[in-house]
Amino acid sequence: MGLRPIFSALMRNGAGAILVAIQIALTLAIVVNAVFVTGQRLNKIGRDSGMDDQNIFAVPVTSFEKNHDFFAMVRNDLAMLREMPGVIDAAPTTQIPLSGGGSSTQFYSLPDKKGEKTPVAYYNTDDHGVKTLGVKLADGKNFSSTDVEYREKDVQGMPGTAVVTRAFAEALFPSDKEHLVGKTFYDDQSKPTVIAGVMEQMHGAWVGWDKLDRVLLAPLIGPGPGIRYLIRTEPGKLDAVMASVEVALRKRDPNRVVGKLRSMQNFKQSSYSGDSLMAVTLSVVTGLVLIFSSLGIFGLATFNVNTRTRQIGTRRAVGARKRDIVSYFMAENWMVTTLGVVVGCGLALAVGFWLSNEFGLPRLDLYFLVGGVAGLWALGQLAAWQPALRAAKVSPAMATRSV
Amino acid sequence: MFAYYLRLSLQSFRRNPGLTALMVMAIALGISVCMVTLTSYRAAARIPLPHKAGMLFVPNIDSWDPDNSYDKDKPANAPDLQTYRDARGLFASTIPDRKLIMFKAGGVLSGGLNMVPEYVSARMTTGDFFPMFETPFLYGGGWNAKADEGPEPVVVLSKETNEKAFGGANSVGKTLLWHDREFRVVGVLDDWEPAPKFFDVSNGSFDDPEEIYVPFSWGQILELGSDGNTNCWKTEDIKSYQDFLNSECIWFESWVELRTPAKVAAYRQFLDDYVIDQKSKGRFPRPLNNHLYDIEGWMQRNQVVGTDNKAMLIMAFAFLAVCLVNTVGLLLAKFLNAAPIAGVRRALGASRRDIFLQHLTESGVVAVAGGIAGGLLGVAGVWALRAWYGRFVQDLDRALPTDYGTFVIAVGISLAAGIVAGLYPAWRIGRAAPASYLKVQ
Repeated sequence: MGLRPIFSALMRNGAGAILVAIQIALTLAIVVNAVFVTGQRLNKIGRDSGMDDQNIFAVPVTSFEKNHDFFAMVRNDLAMLREMPGVIDAAPTTQIPLSGGGSSTQFYSLPDKKGEKTPVAYYNTDDHGVKTLGVKLADGKNFSSTDVEYREKDVQGMPGTAVVTRAFAEALFPSDKEHLVGKTFYDDQSKPTVIAGVMEQMHGAWVGWDKLDRVLLAPLIGPGPGIRYLIRTEPGKLDAVMASVEVALRKRDPNRVVGKLRSMQNFKQSSYSGDSLMAVTLSVVTGLVLIFSSLGIFGLATFNVNTRTRQIGTRRAVGARKRDIVSYFMAENWMVTTLGVVVGCGLALAVGFWLSNEFGLPRLDLYFLVGGVAGLWALGQLAAWQPALRAAKVSPAMATRSV
Repeated sequence: MFAYYLRLSLQSFRRNPGLTALMVMAIALGISVCMVTLTSYRAAARIPLPHKAGMLFVPNIDSWDPDNSYDKDKPANAPDLQTYRDARGLFASTIPDRKLIMFKAGGVLSGGLNMVPEYVSARMTTGDFFPMFETPFLYGGGWNAKADEGPEPVVVLSKETNEKAFGGANSVGKTLLWHDREFRVVGVLDDWEPAPKFFDVSNGSFDDPEEIYVPFSWGQILELGSDGNTNCWKTEDIKSYQDFLNSECIWFESWVELRTPAKVAAYRQFLDDYVIDQKSKGRFPRPLNNHLYDIEGWMQRNQVVGTDNKAMLIMAFAFLAVCLVNTVGLLLAKFLNAAPIAGVRRALGASRRDIFLQHLTESGVVAVAGGIAGGLLGVAGVWALRAWYGRFVQDLDRALPTDYGTFVIAVGISLAAGIVAGLYPAWRIGRAAPASYLKVQ
């Protein structure tokens, strides 16, 4: 069967066909880009933070009375927290990873601001930091309790030893990635710090930062008056431990302020809330677009069949088989879908290009376009299938009947 | 005649209830998705203090590193914050009608009637803050320039803080302890939750406003650091707080109110003169790069409206377009299918215009039904979005207020869209020659 007569018949009712084609083109442009961006966001949200972030929470405390012994408070609080049931470990910190708030500084591989340089998010903690965060040491060792410096006044500079992420160490020493432990790096005052241990992975403060995995743990506490405690609980006990910790901290020392307890998961969700919102919105829009496009194609195909029962009857009467009728309608649908897909490809690329230009999103991956084209072809044929079958059921006797 | 058309439409809907429902649903969903994204977009894009547009300005001067621009992605931008010396330097200008310098700090607040000691965020600012940003006062007021110079131990409380400390009573004249010092309450703000928090976008444009307001100079007396961003580029040996104040680290924000174009021009000249003078003293190693942003420009510079927000809005409208094309196609098919009926009506004397109007009425009814359903769905969608957002945002009404304007916009768009969608099919059916439809197919 030639496609030509189908095409001519289509042209006689051009408007309907063009509308379906436009719809398919728009659908392709939206779906391909939406799925692409959604995938990117889901990857971003789901990446490994390197920490046991499901089972950690944080609580800020501030001592405010004059002559309040800040370091004694920290030591006693932590000793108590580590003994509490359900607690795996507890450690002090300046900021909370994944919270969107943090401190960063710059380091160099050589003194006098020479060699490689990289920014890093840093967390001042003690020897329990590694275990509390649940990070894996890939190489080297954790710093010990004797390495921890208790700082009375706010002065610059890191202690002489640190645990760092592999990403940070490799940024400073790209040519010697096998021997990162024991390497020395320098701050802008040329003060040296030695890498004691290398963490496989840990995320820092700002989830939108491309150097999120450059993180440093320094053995440093103070100066007061404020500090935060990170507490890691046994799986499933977070809520119960949070409640008991709040009571215990207030009871142990009423002469300070215990702030709001918040789980790291809560900080994480909040930091990624923009990405989740984007992913949810785009998924919903994608689903709706697909549903409505297929319903639209289905509806139009049904109407095409209804308005042409007499024509179909005539064709059947002069010898067309049921199969011919089905393939006629499928071919017609295929032509319209193809027209839509071709226009849609151009539109999708234009939208993708424009999105990446205007909004700094990554450039559309062409595999998504190929997938979208194949998917829409299939969807178009699927939506036309049932109406085409109905058309095949038209009796040849319809040819002689009037409306 | 209209009532008759309405009756015909209802009959037509009864002939194809599934198809009619599909059209109404398509419009309704398109509208509701647009409504939800529009709500979150409008929440982010609101320009605060519209009647002060062109009067409030943020000066930016480029004191940054000679080798690196402040923002690598946007090298034309100057730093959004200033060093202590420059903040004071700009504050010394007598050109502005009003001016302020400020930063964000914090500390434990205690005392009062029934204050459980708590770490509170504080805006360390000069007194023009209140009239410049038109903060609403429940009791008392702000402080004057004399209190800034002293500085006098005065404090303005947020409504919430006043409730914690004094049970919401008029606390003007009462005292509180902050950083172990006594501060006298001079004013209590009413609910004031500007969204976006335009006066401190560098620390989070949807953060909560501070809990107390304290004269700027107390920051130096109490040796307070910033609770917001502090950025440094220069190698400096910082041993004391004074060293820190004198460093090239930036953490202060300036605003000025300039009511006439002449003053704006004069202030621009002042900024240039200031930087050139500093250059002669060996500072400001970068080329002259001063900016004076009005509020809208400042929002744009800081990309308060996230690019995601814009992308989502565009996606939503593209979806609406798909829904409308869908509806046009379905209407067309439906009208053509019922063409014999139109043919009979034409043969009995209805004019083309009558047929056109009849069908336009029919699509109008679909549009209204879709608009109402879409509006309700949209309200439900906004409600769901708020519920979802509520998990992260402390003050939901500020981040995502219920915006009745969008409801009106949505129904308006829907009506317009439905009628536009009906135009072509209605015209097409009206044009058809009656005779052909009176014959058999």
